Amino acid sequence: MNIIDAKNISFAYRVLNKQHSSLNTLFRDFLHGRVSIEDYLALDNLTFEVKKGQTVAIIGKNGAGKSTLLKILARVIKPTTGEIEITGEIAPMIELGAGFNSELTGRENILFYSSLLGRDINKVKNRVNEIITWAGVEDHLDYQLRTYSTGMVARLAFSIATDQIPDLLLIDEVLSVGDGEFALKSKARINEIINSGCTVIMVSHDLATVAELAQKVIWIEKGEIKMVGLPTEVIAAYQASGS
Amino acid sequence: MRAKKLSLSSLTGFSKNNLQLLRLLVQQELTLRYKRSVIGIGWTLLNPMLTSFVLWIVFSFLFAGKLQAGQQFAPYLMAGILLSTFFNQGLMQAANSIASNGGVLTKVAVPPRIFAFAAALAAFINFLIGLLPLAIVVYMSGQTLKLTLPLVLLVGLFLAIFVSGIGLALSVVFIRFEDARNIVNVLLLMLVYLTPIFYPIGILDSRMQQIVNLNPLTSFLDAFRWSFSDNAVVTWADFTYLAVVSIFSFIAGNYFFNKRWSKTIAML
Repeated sequence: MNIIDAKNISFAYRVLNKQHSSLNTLFRDFLHGRVSIEDYLALDNLTFEVKKGQTVAIIGKNGAGKSTLLKILARVIKPTTGEIEITGEIAPMIELGAGFNSELTGRENILFYSSLLGRDINKVKNRVNEIITWAGVEDHLDYQLRTYSTGMVARLAFSIATDQIPDLLLIDEVLSVGDGEFALKSKARINEIINSGCTVIMVSHDLATVAELAQKVIWIEKGEIKMVGLPTEVIAAYQASGS
Repeated sequence: MRAKKLSLSSLTGFSKNNLQLLRLLVQQELTLRYKRSVIGIGWTLLNPMLTSFVLWIVFSFLFAGKLQAGQQFAPYLMAGILLSTFFNQGLMQAANSIASNGGVLTKVAVPPRIFAFAAALAAFINFLIGLLPLAIVVYMSGQTLKLTLPLVLLVGLFLAIFVSGIGLALSVVFIRFEDARNIVNVLLLMLVYLTPIFYPIGILDSRMQQIVNLNPLTSFLDAFRWSFSDNAVVTWADFTYLAVVSIFSFIAGNYFFNKRWSKTIAML
């Protein structure tokens, strides 16, 4: 069964020939007839599928369109053309802690962040202890988040995001969270999630991790799919291409 | 309570969990603004009183005698301040809410309109809190509260709807054009002066009166003053006008927002 079915999806950023960030400059250039509209294709006609329970890695150079694709998968943006069908609940870990409020306490942030992820906070209330213990910040639960260290914030965010196992987990370079001990712990958690049958899609530059975790690799270059296949083959071709 | 929640979620297209988020956001708006101040949420009570007091000192000489018989200047003025603060704060915060939450909106699939609605609702609740000191001022100036008091809730609800509609439309424009915010600020200032907040409408000539009466804020304000403590004259036409204007703005604002959103998020 496919959890993701993407057919010919493209995403275009509509740009004016010059970036007008103010009405003033737009109006001036408009009067001089210097305004035209162009489409910049960030993703060009991608077709792929992901089976339920699969772990898929997306690799490619910076600017290849990986982040745009991840945003489409997270349902943050819709493809300009083409069809994509995603079934089930999605947990995006695109940027850990996006949505944290430093004025709120750890406890309040747990509820707020979970709520942003679309979870039922009445259920999350019963999980606060588990979340906080796993993140290792028990003593700071009722302190404002601005008193936390960067590592503590990242740990808390990771703990919240992975507390409920979704149908589809999206990961953008977040395996490198925190210090050595926590990096191991978070890797173990990701493994646990993968083994639980959750579908995982990750974007990573860390080819060793990709080779270890992924069952399928999609290589994107300049908005197009360059190659899809088994990790060993795709990674070898990717490295051979000189990047 | 449960039945109300169900109808609310079917009305807005938000899930039950989205409504929980809305509640959290409103709570944050209300409590965080004064988090680091000593008297906390007490500022919500004090702020309109202090502003009204200053304006009362300045304008009571000029305008107190110009009001219609039976009307009192102190509650007249304070009602104006409360309502215009509700409008201004609600509108600007709703309009800025999308841009300031851009970091979240580009990473998590959450209905963006929730942020604008939360801003409008928070301004509404601040307004309701401000009714308490207004009631005190009403009694101090020798008036009494009217039985039409519950209508204030209706007026406030319509203003919240009005504000979220326009705020949503502006939020998209603000993200696209940096200087739109300054232009809107000037327009808002004009709108506020075209609302009889601290002056009685009777001091204007008939042409200006017509313009001021066309301003929907004037209808909101009159309806509020009339329902609370009889400091304005209102007809059914005013109520109809404000209802039509708010529902229309809400639908138009949401429509415009939904239409532009996919282009806008690419700029966040």
